[in-house]
Amino acid sequence: MAAPRHHLAVALVLLLVLAVVVSSSSAAASAADEGGPRGRRVLVLVDDLAVRSSHSAFFASLQGRGFDLDFRLADDPKLSLHRYGQYLYDGLVLFAPSTPRFGGSVDQNAVLEFIDAGHDMILAADSSASDLIRGIATECGVDFDEDPEAMVIDHINYAASDAEGDHTLIAGDDLIQSDVILGSKKIEAPVLFRGIGHAVNPSNSLVLKVLSTSPSAYSANPKSKLSSPPSLTGSAISLVSVMQARNNARVLISGSLDLFSNRFLKSGVQKAGSKIRHEKAGNEQFVTETSKWVFHERGHLKAVNVKHNKVGDTNEPGMYRINDDLEYSVEIYEWSGTSWKPYVANDVQVQFYMMSPYVLKTLSTDKKGVFSTSFKVPDVYGVFQFKVEYQRLGYTGLSLSKQIPVRPYRHNEYERFITSAYPYYAASFSTMGAFFIFSFVYLYHK
Amino acid sequence: MAAGGLPSSATLLLIIILVAAVAVAPLASAVRPVSDAHRSTAAELFAASPDGSFGDLETTYEAVRTFQILGVEKDKGLIGKACKFAAEKLASSSSSSSSPAKDLFHAVRISGVLKCSVDSGVYDDVATRLKAVIKDTNSLLELYYSVGGLLSVKEQGRNVVLPDADSTFHAIKALSQSDGRWRYDTNSAESSTFAAAVVKNDIVKLFDTIKSYDDGTFYFDEKHVDATEYKGPITTSASVVRGVTSFGDVASGKLNIPGEKVLGLAKFFLGIGLPGSAKDCFNQIEAFVPLILSLPSKVFSLTSKDQLKVEVTTVFGSAAPPLRVNLVQVLGSGSKVITTETKELQFDHDNNIHYLDIAPLKIDVGKYSLVFEISLQEPEHETVYATGGRNTETVFVTGLIKVDKAETGISDNDAGTVESVQKIDLQKDASISLSANHLQKLRLSFQLSTPLGNTFKPHQVFLKLKHESKVEHLFVVPGSARQFKIDFLGLVEKFYYLSGRYDLELSVGDAAMENSFLRALGHLELDLPEAPEKAPKPPAQAVDPFSKFGPKKEISHIFRAPEKRPPKELSFAFSGLTLIPFVGFLIGLMRLGVNLKNFPSLPAPSAFASLFHAGIGAVLLLYVLFWIKLDLFTTLKYLSFLGVFLVFVGHRALSYLSSTSSKQKTA
Repeated sequence: MAAPRHHLAVALVLLLVLAVVVSSSSAAASAADEGGPRGRRVLVLVDDLAVRSSHSAFFASLQGRGFDLDFRLADDPKLSLHRYGQYLYDGLVLFAPSTPRFGGSVDQNAVLEFIDAGHDMILAADSSASDLIRGIATECGVDFDEDPEAMVIDHINYAASDAEGDHTLIAGDDLIQSDVILGSKKIEAPVLFRGIGHAVNPSNSLVLKVLSTSPSAYSANPKSKLSSPPSLTGSAISLVSVMQARNNARVLISGSLDLFSNRFLKSGVQKAGSKIRHEKAGNEQFVTETSKWVFHERGHLKAVNVKHNKVGDTNEPGMYRINDDLEYSVEIYEWSGTSWKPYVANDVQVQFYMMSPYVLKTLSTDKKGVFSTSFKVPDVYGVFQFKVEYQRLGYTGLSLSKQIPVRPYRHNEYERFITSAYPYYAASFSTMGAFFIFSFVYLYHK
Repeated sequence: MAAGGLPSSATLLLIIILVAAVAVAPLASAVRPVSDAHRSTAAELFAASPDGSFGDLETTYEAVRTFQILGVEKDKGLIGKACKFAAEKLASSSSSSSSPAKDLFHAVRISGVLKCSVDSGVYDDVATRLKAVIKDTNSLLELYYSVGGLLSVKEQGRNVVLPDADSTFHAIKALSQSDGRWRYDTNSAESSTFAAAVVKNDIVKLFDTIKSYDDGTFYFDEKHVDATEYKGPITTSASVVRGVTSFGDVASGKLNIPGEKVLGLAKFFLGIGLPGSAKDCFNQIEAFVPLILSLPSKVFSLTSKDQLKVEVTTVFGSAAPPLRVNLVQVLGSGSKVITTETKELQFDHDNNIHYLDIAPLKIDVGKYSLVFEISLQEPEHETVYATGGRNTETVFVTGLIKVDKAETGISDNDAGTVESVQKIDLQKDASISLSANHLQKLRLSFQLSTPLGNTFKPHQVFLKLKHESKVEHLFVVPGSARQFKIDFLGLVEKFYYLSGRYDLELSVGDAAMENSFLRALGHLELDLPEAPEKAPKPPAQAVDPFSKFGPKKEISHIFRAPEKRPPKELSFAFSGLTLIPFVGFLIGLMRLGVNLKNFPSLPAPSAFASLFHAGIGAVLLLYVLFWIKLDLFTTLKYLSFLGVFLVFVGHRALSYLSSTSSKQKTA
């Protein structure tokens, strides 16, 4: 009696597992149906669950845009980014500045591998930033001020506030000029910032300063006298930076966790020395727009239908002859958060490339996503490539290449009747005629 | 003690949401009473979904509870909907839900908060169902919900008697200890209907373990950091307060908790913005009403002659009883005592503010700690209100700093035979121009004085030298030195031997300085020696990230130019010329009087001779065709046939001709 029951239990467990697998795969399928570039599962790591409440407006805006947030303590021993070789999350929000080490199987390398696998991350530090957080930031090309007591101070461009007077609350308005990162609507009000500054690594060309300080800022301990020059001063200090890796993984690094807090999102701001008081700081717009960018709701391009053919033909040939006229076209779409919209730009370029570009031409667009151009194949034969290398500020990079051989003229494709050669022809044919007549004369003359 | 165990998770959640509702209003973490800002934010954060409900029961409860605590008025329709929602659950939850106790618990609490009119029979029914759960269950969470639910039902005025209280309590206790998560703070207190006496001592003890921040704010911290349950001091403290509150509900005795500690806790909660827990705490422990002393502004400008203003209110912002506020001590930086003279602040009845002019205090710009003392005017209030004795507040006094005697120049040696001294007006950007070599020194001097005439040493005095190649050098100008010198001799290597134009920039700033400035001073032509081979290279400057974006220059292939050809007419003319010899040949033949008398007359030889010449003609025609259209392979193919044919007929024709000619010779 016991044995069958045991079997039944096993079957039941199997069924359950199956159900889980089926439901998860159907969830994946539905994500694929939407066709977005990124999934919606985001892991939020905090070092105190109170952050979930004190930053609830930011999280609510993510959830409102369809993200599935999983809040975990950074030292949760069950923490794991992947299981059975599959990543459990598509994005990471690291709001745990002071955590000395992560729980579970997660460590600095695991986070970096997560990014290397093409996932996105928002990292916020503050003056309690641990070596772990600094290490991750360094790997992303951002070096936080090494002095643990230092904060960004600006005695000229601070936010006037009744409650604090040490000018560490920065009203930042030196934003990057990029509609794709910050949205098309201009951020009018200054962005409040209190935290540590960082410098972007000059040798890393993937990092961009999104929010920089004014020339009068410096990074130092506000409580003690300065003895040596601060390591970070002036506009070299970056408050918020973004990095887009070559695999299009996006990372946002902020030196202030408060930047995302409900407090800063909802409070008013008045820049010192300015008459204008903004009812609301620019933070809400700033964090919403930058998070849209980080999680690939904006600025993600895809290219489809790469086509090329001879002018007057529709089929794609396997080879071109030198001096052929050809047409090249590609369709490019941008993800708008909900659907793929035609991408409109006038700077997409195609290269006809063999060792170096022989032809580099800007594609014209019909504003419906199709970019096309036509040109003459160079009179050099060999194996060429059609290359589109599209790297624009804030957009994901497009790198398309298609190989195509180019052959020279065949022997019978050259010009046959060359006027300047007529004297030679006339001479040969007259000689031949004379020979014909001479043969009669020579043989039969008497 | 540690944070809430299993039963406290619901409480934690509630508290977290309460934090969410209120942690947003004040910009800085200053301790301020609850204000309207909290209320509007709470309403915003708990914006109901279009159908009027807040989602599930738990969220609904959290929302209505928050509104109740903060005194936010919601319209009747919403309350009605929430009530209906709760009542439905109460009436019907016998069925589907996996955890009936949890649903009942939340539903009862919602109706309690909203004072919904629920049939008393329903409550009886609920009570019975909950008791059934208690009997059957062995899960701590279920017990928590059931007992909590019963407690709420009791609050509604129903008489609930738990028949087997002792055994239930033991069950809870046993359970808790068995999984190692016995917590004084929540489950024992929440269940304390049955064991008030046991727990009362624990609670008083609990307050002995309270920790404190430097500014007299108290909080509870966990002693055992249970990795899965670590919640930080905020939630722990909140749990403790919840526990104490529940205990206060059921215990008749008065808790003997020092007023000072209550005040500290209140400050902690206000500091992080958690008035919900704070209110629970102070409503229940009726020993003291804590009075919060706060400064509306912590920055005072000597220029605009700000008054020192102090507000004293209860936690929720209502007015305090008549009292006196004295400023007893002013401490400067490094706890240096500036003055200990006691000054009483005047009271402004209209704005409910105590104020004091700071001018007579004779304090200069800077950062100060002010120590206040509150004394109640009526002695009977002393048993009601907790004042917390001395309150210390940190303030900044700012003012305009006078900048004068600014001059700069280049000197040759330490004795200071200054070659060129130029006065600078630091009120605006200057454009001096200096030149120096590595043996000279740059001098800079200026004087900063406070409104009271003292020398001022700002936090930030930087002189920046920026080379054309964007290499920057920053010098901290010590506030104490009258004259600041840069000796280029020792800095040649640090300057990477870079001669040329350096822009000078001076920035002076301080928290207490209202006219912090950043001025361009002009430029300095520096002549440094040639760099030796092993000299350090200047650091790489960040390339403009924008440069790698943007379209590249178009490239179009340059095709090989076609070969030069003579004009057509010339070609035709030369073609004609080449035909002239042929014409001459024909004319010559005519002149010679060519005949074909030797052509064979016999039929066979004449046929072979004709075929031979036709063959030659065909070969020549083939050459013409080769020129016009045929390719080499076809031509060679035809030529091979023609060749064989030609050899054959040629041989017959020519052998006949030679035989006839030899005959003639012999004849």
